[in-house]
Amino acid sequence: MQFTLKYKQLNEEREIPNENYTIKDLLNELELSAQTVVSKQNGELVIEDTVIQEGDEIQLVQIIYGG
Amino acid sequence: MQCSTCGNPKVIYKREQSGQILCKDCFIESIEKKAIKTIKKEKLLDKGDKVLVALSGGKDSVTTLEVLNSFRERNIIDICAVTVDEGIANYRQDGVDIAIRHAQRLGIEHKVVSLKEDYGISLDEIMQKENHKGSCTYCGVFRRTIINKAARDIGATKIATGHNLDDEVQGIMMNYLEGNTDNLTKLGAKTESKAEEFTVKIKPLREIPEREIGLYVVAKDLEVHFDSCPYAMQSFRGEVSELINQLAEKHPTIKYSTLRGYDKIKNILKDELKKDYAHGRCRRCGEPASNDLCKACSFLEELGL
Repeated sequence: MQFTLKYKQLNEEREIPNENYTIKDLLNELELSAQTVVSKQNGELVIEDTVIQEGDEIQLVQIIYGG
Repeated sequence: MQCSTCGNPKVIYKREQSGQILCKDCFIESIEKKAIKTIKKEKLLDKGDKVLVALSGGKDSVTTLEVLNSFRERNIIDICAVTVDEGIANYRQDGVDIAIRHAQRLGIEHKVVSLKEDYGISLDEIMQKENHKGSCTYCGVFRRTIINKAARDIGATKIATGHNLDDEVQGIMMNYLEGNTDNLTKLGAKTESKAEEFTVKIKPLREIPEREIGLYVVAKDLEVHFDSCPYAMQSFRGEVSELINQLAEKHPTIKYSTLRGYDKIKNILKDELKKDYAHGRCRRCGEPASNDLCKACSFLEELGL
């Protein structure tokens, strides 16, 4: 079970490690704060509680850079 | 899960401070309503105003332009924009280009002014000097001076900046922590000076958190310059911001309460502490100044220019 992650220059296939794996779990894994990024699932904005499904394209857009 | 306002199941935002859950359309509407509420509550606009938007091409200034344009479309105000090119390599040009495109899209008067052209030195060059005082010190003063001069040249009656809730709270805390009571009196939604040469400044986004502005531009598909100023992490503001954000994780309303608390004591601070500035004129450039030289010119002299 895989999904695609797009974040800045990154564009990679990643494994879904368990059931009910959310975008928030992904952000924690990447050590990113939900305060600084917004998330899109298959091109549409979603909240971080969204469960990632097989074949999803998850795009993270950094909106706060601290300057 | 569904939108607290319209019931749409496609939600994009959970507002932690209020528990509201919103779909894209209701979220966009909530941001625009909030800014309009601030404009009305603080009486930021008068019919017939010509508002100069300080347009960097970043999310905050583009949102300010978008909100104010709704007043322009209703023929309440006129808008123009000024972009300051500080001269920061590999950073500023993208923002300048985006600002130009927004001005063209809306058909508004737009001017790009550079630090190099106006003062003969770019911010990158200042930072090469051994005796520099930190990038933000110069950037803030030179930008303010350039925008104020541009407002006079263009005949603007107000200057609108993109300061958001996070910026305001950082300003309050920074000035308090530094004991800078003079600067503490200058914050707020609308700042006016007794000197005629200083145009009134307004902050329509002052009560909107930075994160919500970021989400707003993505939700509305507005082209903005998302990037970090290479000098940002050298600033005291950056350190204060990090502390406030840490506190906000456990206390989601803390930015609002800091702002509300400041607003309650703001008038007392102004009455007690505000200096009566700008009776004099800078001997070098003629701008209002409390001393022999205005701040910008005193920096230029220190830099040997």
